[in-house]
Amino acid sequence: MSAKEQATLHVIARAPFTLYYDGPALSLSALNAVGKFDILPGHADFFSMLLAGEVYIETDKEPIIFNISTGIVTVRADEVLLFANM
Amino acid sequence: MRRASVIEKDAASIGTLKDLTNVFESLASTQVAKMKTKVLISQDFFGLLWERYTSLRIDPARRITNRDGVGNNGRNAIILISAEAGLSGDLDARVIETMVTDNDLSKTDILVLGSHGASQLTQRGIPYARFFKLPESDDYINVSPVIEAVLPYERIVVYYEEYVSLGSQIVRSIDLVSHISDMSKDYEEGTMTDYDTIFEPSLEMIADEMEETMMRLALSQTILQSALAQAASRFNAMTMAEDRAGELLGEYKLEFHRAKRSESDRRLREVLVGMKKKRREAAAEAS
Repeated sequence: MSAKEQATLHVIARAPFTLYYDGPALSLSALNAVGKFDILPGHADFFSMLLAGEVYIETDKEPIIFNISTGIVTVRADEVLLFANM
Repeated sequence: MRRASVIEKDAASIGTLKDLTNVFESLASTQVAKMKTKVLISQDFFGLLWERYTSLRIDPARRITNRDGVGNNGRNAIILISAEAGLSGDLDARVIETMVTDNDLSKTDILVLGSHGASQLTQRGIPYARFFKLPESDDYINVSPVIEAVLPYERIVVYYEEYVSLGSQIVRSIDLVSHISDMSKDYEEGTMTDYDTIFEPSLEMIADEMEETMMRLALSQTILQSALAQAASRFNAMTMAEDRAGELLGEYKLEFHRAKRSESDRRLREVLVGMKKKRREAAAEAS
């Protein structure tokens, strides 16, 4: 079953001049002050500042992996917006 | 009249100049296209972030954009964004003139970004409080030191050049704080409060971080806009220079042909005079 069929997350991950990913995803993992966390479909609405580190987006194809220096992630109704390196 | 060989030499120099301006024109054109794309991408990013920022609901009295109680002895701050070097036409001069006309400089601290603006201010005898070099790369604009420097001021106005079209660039100014506040007015759709959203570390800390981020991004956008306007202005300056060089080349060609004709006429006259003289001498010898 593909990520699209699984009704998963829709992730937009970008920096001011870079689009890392815009599409369906199975999960997103990043790092905040509490520690490493994962966002899965059905996650509660969430707003978090991110720490420098690796962001991992699992898709039904190749995973998207990139590093950020700063960031903010928001989750609302399975839509994930990740703003990096601002 | 100048000699044809001298004119030919000058025309060759103008031809080289024309070729050079053509290269600079092409470079400026590429720069304009590149900057336009960056401005659009950055605006899009800003818009998305803005959507999230304006969905936060916190006590307005605690926001950075609320400037009550802030103030640097009643002084205001002006951020003047200029070019890092010359070759951008008269844009920086126009920005400075607008800034001088709009403000009482005795109550204002000027923070200048870009060496060209700083040197223009010095030439005019206008003191400035701080100078910041423009970032060398447009990919990451670190404006944090500038934001830190202006945060204690009650009013922060940014003067910069804005790109309207390739042929038109205008001077603009924005009040950075009210620009941020105005943009968040009346936005009620889909608010996020701590009743329905998990905030990590806390709503207040995120709001503070977001506000500073938005101010940084707003300032970065004016820097990008300014760079785009300067590239367009440079393109116009190079186009005008190339046109002028083309006109000069035409004038030189005309002058060259006139000089050539004049020189050949003079040689013909000399030959005729010589022949006449020879004929007279031959006639004198015969008689």
